[in-house]
Amino acid sequence: MPDVNRNRRAAHCSDVTDRQRDALLVIRAQLGDRSALTELVGHWHLPVWRYVRAMLGDRSRADDVSQEVWARALRALPRLRQPERFAPWLLTIARRSVTANIAGGYDRNAPDEPPPTPDGAQMVLDRTQVSDGLAGVPLREREVLILFYLHDLPVDDCAEILGVPPGTVKSRLNRARRLLRDRMIEKGYDA
Amino acid sequence: MSEQPGFTPEQVIRPVSRGIVAAGIAGLTGATMIAVLWATEPGTLPTRTRAAFAGLIVIGLSWTVLALWSLLRRPLFAADRVIGARLAVVFSAATALVSAVIAGPLAGLPGLLLTAGAVLLLVRARAWRDRLRSQAAQRGWI
Repeated sequence: MPDVNRNRRAAHCSDVTDRQRDALLVIRAQLGDRSALTELVGHWHLPVWRYVRAMLGDRSRADDVSQEVWARALRALPRLRQPERFAPWLLTIARRSVTANIAGGYDRNAPDEPPPTPDGAQMVLDRTQVSDGLAGVPLREREVLILFYLHDLPVDDCAEILGVPPGTVKSRLNRARRLLRDRMIEKGYDA
Repeated sequence: MSEQPGFTPEQVIRPVSRGIVAAGIAGLTGATMIAVLWATEPGTLPTRTRAAFAGLIVIGLSWTVLALWSLLRRPLFAADRVIGARLAVVFSAATALVSAVIAGPLAGLPGLLLTAGAVLLLVRARAWRDRLRSQAAQRGWI
């Protein structure tokens, strides 16, 4: 099962609870409950910043872009019609802000998308290893690793955030794992 | 990844500064007063006075624009929409009534149309708030 995150399977129950918690917080915030809004932002403050930080690789820019993400998200929050889709919705906004702030864009020197292939390079990775190796992985592959491994999002949510079909997410994941494995071997980790 | 952001969640959801809102109201009031004063002057004002008035109006309106921009950047939640719509109903109805009393029934027509629009906004805002409340109740929130 190449498209199933093993960390995610282990954390499935808490993920469902997190979604329910977020959905209720979103509805209460939309009603005008300030404490719910504070709690919601408190839960997502660090994950959003980490995503932006990992994508941009610069702390001060990550601060600026993260604040821009929150400004956009809070302005649009009253219009969010599917509160249970808060996580992919927020990360889509974050991705757009990151894209707008990456000089040259994602597609610079990007190879063509190969068709989805069986996962020959699958390996079990933990969060720390993924984080360590991320900096050396190209942006397009880096973001799919961040969303899938560090945010524990399912392939369908990753596809929605990235604006590509699930099959493309799987093929990017395969390539990203291979690239990450190469980086990890270079860094001295065993394959 | 032990790094932390350089800002806090509280900074993200900081409400609009009351000072900016007060400055915006003061700016609008001042600009309006000066514009009315200028418009109702019987004779032609000296060039320097006109320049001074124009400058003061620009300053006042600049503060108003800043306050409006700050307010528009904050999210408009269900409770805000209901309160805003109620205010719109009250003020538009008062405008219609006062216009009709002072200048006759026809003069109250624009205010009446505004009131109808405000009532529609209020109905929609309340429906949206009630829908959210029922969704929250379904998820166990009292």
